[in-house]
Amino acid sequence: MNSKASEVEDTLKRIQSHKGVIGTIVVNSEGIPIKTTMDNTTTVQYAGLISQLSDKARSVVRDLDPTNDLTFLRIRSKKHEIMVAPDREFILIVIQNPAE
Amino acid sequence: MDKKAGVKPTKLRAMVKHGSVSKIKGDAGDQNDTENEILMRGRNLMIPEDQLELPEKELSEELARVLTTVNHQIPKNLVEFSFRERSFIPSPITPHDVMLLQYVGTALHKESPEALLQLEAEYIEGAEHGPSDAGKAEKKEGEEEGEGEDDEIEGDADGDAEGDGEAEVDADGVDDEDGEEKIETKEDKKGPPQRGGKAKKLTNQFNFCERATLTYNNPFRDQGAQTTPPPQATFCDYINQWIVYDAYQEDYENQQNMKEKEKREKMTTAQPKKEEGTGRKRLDKHSVDPTTYRMFQAAKILERMINQNTYDEIAQDYRYWEDPSDEFREAEGTLLPLWKFSYEKTKKLNVTEICWNPQFYDLFGVTFGSFDFNKQVNEGYLCLFTMKNPSYPEYINSMDSGMMCLDFHPVHPYLVVVGLYDGTVAVFNVQLLTKERQYESDSVSNKHGGIVWQVCWGKDLTDGEMHFYSVSSDGKVYNWVLMQNELAQTLVITLYLDMEQIPGPDGTMVKITGCGTAIAFHPKEPLIFLVGTEEGNIYKCSTAYASIYLFTYEAHHMPVHRIDFNKFAPEIFISCSSDWRVKIWEDGRSDPLFMFDLGCSVGDVKWAPYSSTVFAAVTVDGKCHVFDLNINKYKAVCVQSIVSKKRNKLTRLSFNHKLPIIMLGDNKGSITTVKLSPNLRIKPKPPKKQQIIDERTLEIMKLEKLLALVREPQKITAPVDEESTTS
Repeated sequence: MNSKASEVEDTLKRIQSHKGVIGTIVVNSEGIPIKTTMDNTTTVQYAGLISQLSDKARSVVRDLDPTNDLTFLRIRSKKHEIMVAPDREFILIVIQNPAE
Repeated sequence: MDKKAGVKPTKLRAMVKHGSVSKIKGDAGDQNDTENEILMRGRNLMIPEDQLELPEKELSEELARVLTTVNHQIPKNLVEFSFRERSFIPSPITPHDVMLLQYVGTALHKESPEALLQLEAEYIEGAEHGPSDAGKAEKKEGEEEGEGEDDEIEGDADGDAEGDGEAEVDADGVDDEDGEEKIETKEDKKGPPQRGGKAKKLTNQFNFCERATLTYNNPFRDQGAQTTPPPQATFCDYINQWIVYDAYQEDYENQQNMKEKEKREKMTTAQPKKEEGTGRKRLDKHSVDPTTYRMFQAAKILERMINQNTYDEIAQDYRYWEDPSDEFREAEGTLLPLWKFSYEKTKKLNVTEICWNPQFYDLFGVTFGSFDFNKQVNEGYLCLFTMKNPSYPEYINSMDSGMMCLDFHPVHPYLVVVGLYDGTVAVFNVQLLTKERQYESDSVSNKHGGIVWQVCWGKDLTDGEMHFYSVSSDGKVYNWVLMQNELAQTLVITLYLDMEQIPGPDGTMVKITGCGTAIAFHPKEPLIFLVGTEEGNIYKCSTAYASIYLFTYEAHHMPVHRIDFNKFAPEIFISCSSDWRVKIWEDGRSDPLFMFDLGCSVGDVKWAPYSSTVFAAVTVDGKCHVFDLNINKYKAVCVQSIVSKKRNKLTRLSFNHKLPIIMLGDNKGSITTVKLSPNLRIKPKPPKKQQIIDERTLEIMKLEKLLALVREPQKITAPVDEESTTS
């Protein structure tokens, strides 16, 4: 169990070290950021907005078909790509600049 | 009826008496005088002011009043409207007589025959006691009755002194009756004590009594208690279809769990506890917090996404880029480098084997070890990479010795067998979260005495047990069966060299064994396999015989690094060696069909899975050679440097089963992916006459055609061939 947890840590570290990755945020089920590599205000803003968006997106997917579920969310913007892994217990957010 | 009639006269009499005071003045006598007196007195006392003053004459005038039985004031022509008939109909005429009281009496007139009869009957009865007494009693009673009546009259006179008018008469009448009754009750009261001990008397018809008792009513009682009010809470929630679905799903799961639990409880009661203990242990070992696991998965996929973004161009090339210049080149192709896989910890190790997973076309396994005898390391890695994430392996496992080879089980693609430098073989289950070895050969008793150069899974045994073969430098081929909790080892063959025995140190004769370096199983016949040795021979063996070789190919002069059967024609195989050569053989023919000299040691050679005539080889100078015999029988259609010649050496290669890509491993622990250009994967064209032939037969036909060309001249130029091999 600990090994798995440390593997998660390792993976997150690797993600952060990747080219073009601007930040990684882990949000818990209550929408509170518990781990971040960005500054406080940005983190809070991302956490709040993304958790709302992922709730809405999940509701869209599940309203269309209750047996279906949302697994990932990729938001491509002009400057960034925001990758979201929304789970019931947590939300993983990675912001990358793919052009870099 | 008689009784009724008996009562009526009294009533009438009363009516008459009260209604006409003035008329019966005379009759009333002194009674009336007193009445007048009273009237006079009243007149004197209060005379209304507007009273008419009448002269004496008029006052003394006598006015006659007539009492009739007809009431003139009753209307005779009274009608009422009937809504049913919609007309006035005469209503029934109101009768003139007024019934004041109707009472059924039981009194008999004394002298009536009925009374007499009754008396007689009583007399007879009474005679038994004393007839004279009875008679007396009768007489007395009569008197008493008479007195009662007198009283009544008197009372009447008093009560009606001032009354006049009919209404008053009515009211008085009622009073009279009351009076009568009173008297009668009085009489009753008097009666009994007087008669006392008399045996016989006239039965008193009025002697009845009604008895009633009033019991206590149960007192009404109201009892109430106030409880503490149940706690209240406001609850509001958002609900929609999928929330409902989830709730049901959860409930269903709980039910299933309960059922399973019950079943398990039954099982455990039936079976000894021993089994339960082991089962729980296993569960505990592999249980991981589901949230952590999910987070791990999510992080993994995010990493892949990032890689996808980072290596977007490569991904595009990998899918869509076809070298356009190939169209203008006749017999040449190119290799397009794609991703480069490496792992931080294995950068100093050699890639000792690359093997694609049979189920997932983008997953491949790599073993890291060292080929250099002088630079042996005490660590070896097994890594599984996916093309989706070139930056980091999907699965990592390490052992204390260099890993030299691996093979995926064809049916259970999660089982990986590896061979180690120290002669150990081990089986991993890469599906599991733990990194424990599923099976490992015992490090002392049952293991190879030399480097395990190649391992390969065999087809499952008839009883479903999995097994694999390994070949090692100690000259032995072992078969390993995966038992319940151990590896069962069987010797398949010892690779004795066809040489004379030499004397050992203590004088005994010792047979010299060859060093096995490569093994390949016949694709069609599971018993037949080929073993390459360090001495350069290739032996055709069968698992059924441990003592003899079915055939011996004197193939090379240096260690054989790889033997690979053609994917389309099972009798054709290819071999490569450190003696710079790649040779193509036909089963049972001691001379090679084709031979190619690549200019330096050849690390690996493989047939392409998509074509019968294409194969690729890697050399230590960092080049990859791709041949298509159909295009060019003499030289490679593509020779390309993949890694820098000075520093790196290519060690292994592997074709993907589905995609036109090759993985090339080097001695710096990195794996390069290259894409074959269209010229390197030309599909055979079907002959014009027969349009419908499947690709496989086409490929076989292509190879057959080619072989037919080669076979004939080979026989003729046999000495030449021999020369070339020896040179």
